[in-house]
Amino acid sequence: MKVWTSAAAGLAWLFLACAATAHAQTLPSEPIEFGGGHVTVGGDVSATYSCALPIDGVCGNDVGFFNYTDYAQSALRLFRVDVSAAVKAGPHFTVLSEVRSENINTVQPYALYLRVRPWSSKDFDIQVGRVPPTFGAFLRHSYANDNPLIGYPLAYQYLTTLRPDSLPASAEELVKKKSTGWLVRYSVGDPTFQAGVPLVTAFSWDTGVQGHATVGIVSATAAITTGTLSNPLFKEDNDGRQLAARVEVRPAAGLVAGTSFARGAFVSQSAARAAVGSEANENSYAQTAWGGDLEYSHGYYLIRAETIFSSWRLPTATPPATQMPIEDALTAFSTSLEGRYKVQPRLYVAARFDRLMFSDITDATGLSQPWDAPVRRIEVGTGYSLQRNLVLKLSYQYNHRDGGILAQQAKFAAAQLVYWF
Amino acid sequence: MTRAQRATEEKEEGTRATRLQRARLIALAVLTSVALFSFSSVTLRSLSAAGAAARPGAIRGRVELRRPPVASDRRPTVTDLGTPAGRDVPDLLRSVVYLASAPRGAFETSDGGHAVMDQRNESFVPHVLAITTGTTVDFPNSDRFYHNVFSLSKPKTFDLGRYAAGHSKSIRFDRAGIVRVFCDIHSHMNAYILVFSHPFFALTDGDGRYRIDNVPPGTYGIVAWNEGTPSDTQAVTVPDGGTAEIDFTIR
Repeated sequence: MKVWTSAAAGLAWLFLACAATAHAQTLPSEPIEFGGGHVTVGGDVSATYSCALPIDGVCGNDVGFFNYTDYAQSALRLFRVDVSAAVKAGPHFTVLSEVRSENINTVQPYALYLRVRPWSSKDFDIQVGRVPPTFGAFLRHSYANDNPLIGYPLAYQYLTTLRPDSLPASAEELVKKKSTGWLVRYSVGDPTFQAGVPLVTAFSWDTGVQGHATVGIVSATAAITTGTLSNPLFKEDNDGRQLAARVEVRPAAGLVAGTSFARGAFVSQSAARAAVGSEANENSYAQTAWGGDLEYSHGYYLIRAETIFSSWRLPTATPPATQMPIEDALTAFSTSLEGRYKVQPRLYVAARFDRLMFSDITDATGLSQPWDAPVRRIEVGTGYSLQRNLVLKLSYQYNHRDGGILAQQAKFAAAQLVYWF
Repeated sequence: MTRAQRATEEKEEGTRATRLQRARLIALAVLTSVALFSFSSVTLRSLSAAGAAARPGAIRGRVELRRPPVASDRRPTVTDLGTPAGRDVPDLLRSVVYLASAPRGAFETSDGGHAVMDQRNESFVPHVLAITTGTTVDFPNSDRFYHNVFSLSKPKTFDLGRYAAGHSKSIRFDRAGIVRVFCDIHSHMNAYILVFSHPFFALTDGDGRYRIDNVPPGTYGIVAWNEGTPSDTQAVTVPDGGTAEIDFTIR
């Protein structure tokens, strides 16, 4: 209840701000600088509200939990405040940080890292701390105003039924939980209900060391971090590290092609030991992911496409006698296609098509079926700039899930106000 | 007199009255025309004589910026994988000085020609452009990457879309006012275009000095402007063929 109240309050606040500033540039539109230009602070505030359709007098909830995030909150009912800061200490060192508050509940340190540029003349940087994600393209556009729509791509938000700290003992136990990634638990490991993980989370960053270099039209990034794409960590929960790499090519103005790879120990030490005892080798219970992305823009249109393949290898626990152990890696495959077109200086239209599929798993009866319920999402929307840094977005989102025990279909009408400086 | 004779006489009287009235009207029209012609000739002659006698003057001076503005930095985008490329810092010290009240006849619309605002090293060059209405501004892209010039200002709302190096797009400015120009891709890029409906304005040089030439003699209101901040309007009297001096302090 508090969540909805906060989101509604946020929305009301932004509507008031919008009404007050629609005819004048009264809110700050530039980042704030102090300390002789050494400290720069920027911000991004967004208030999002949605109703499940059809509306029968009341605003319907997301009973299918299609848009829930890591924090057990819906991405379509969210009041989010991001404050980011850059502190420059000479030509070689910069400290960057971002704190984020969602629904005014908590303040999370989203990013905090030191960027070192050893040679001023060379395009090479080392970043240490809670670093930006190496993998994929969408997280480069994570600010609300960089996302032309309101919802997120499925790969970065949709919660699968996998958890790093609670494991299914058998194929039967896993498929029984289809579609319940919002709140799931298994018989091995942590017995409490918690949210599952997405393929790549957009809601927290990993901790480690990252190197980035650009030569001509090619940029390369590599990182070693504590967590994984699905489960970024500040403190290690197993002995494994994640290695991630990304290569990006810009062969022509407006064209960006990228490919990414990541592999890291996914299952927590306690869950692995609960599954297979002290012989557990957490490094082998890894998440491995490949990704490819393409962006092209020209004139008034922008097109983005991204595909991600992820597999998780879990420890093979001893299942009940009549059930089948999970021996093969569980895989998921996502595809996202997004487009935006500016109709007028203040107005654009956008659409995204998303598909998330899961590999088949066979139970003791010989029946093969996806280990989680495949999902597809279509979102169409529009954005109107009330002023340069105050945008009102409206969207319609359709979700469909093939199977599972929760609602298989959901439609939403959503509104979002975004203000940034 | 029979009824028929009386009717005929009355008709003849009516016709005479109508003719007389028509003649009076024609005479009045001729007189009015002559009077108007004479008046306008006198007026035109006197105006022409006055124009020949008055020689245009100039206004010059200096604009002092108490707190020189600092170019805003990039937003601290934590998602960047490395240090963003270097960029040019725009010259924010240039001010615009203009007549708030201009001489009669200065507001005739004309083809203002062309001006250029380049996009170079993630900056608009020049940062401030002062033009007259009717001027077409070209926005070439001299960077290797895309820019997207746009403005949501009331005098001119436009969006040129994304275009690559070596290409240029143009916009004609027909309404007077201040137009803020931005890049949709690089949020730190911004510039001003001040559109005037008269030609009596000047940009200051690097030392803040300005000079407005060809100003008809008279007393005017004059304003200095820098980065969205105008000075108080001051009165200046331009002597016949001479130069008036006036300095400003902003902020």
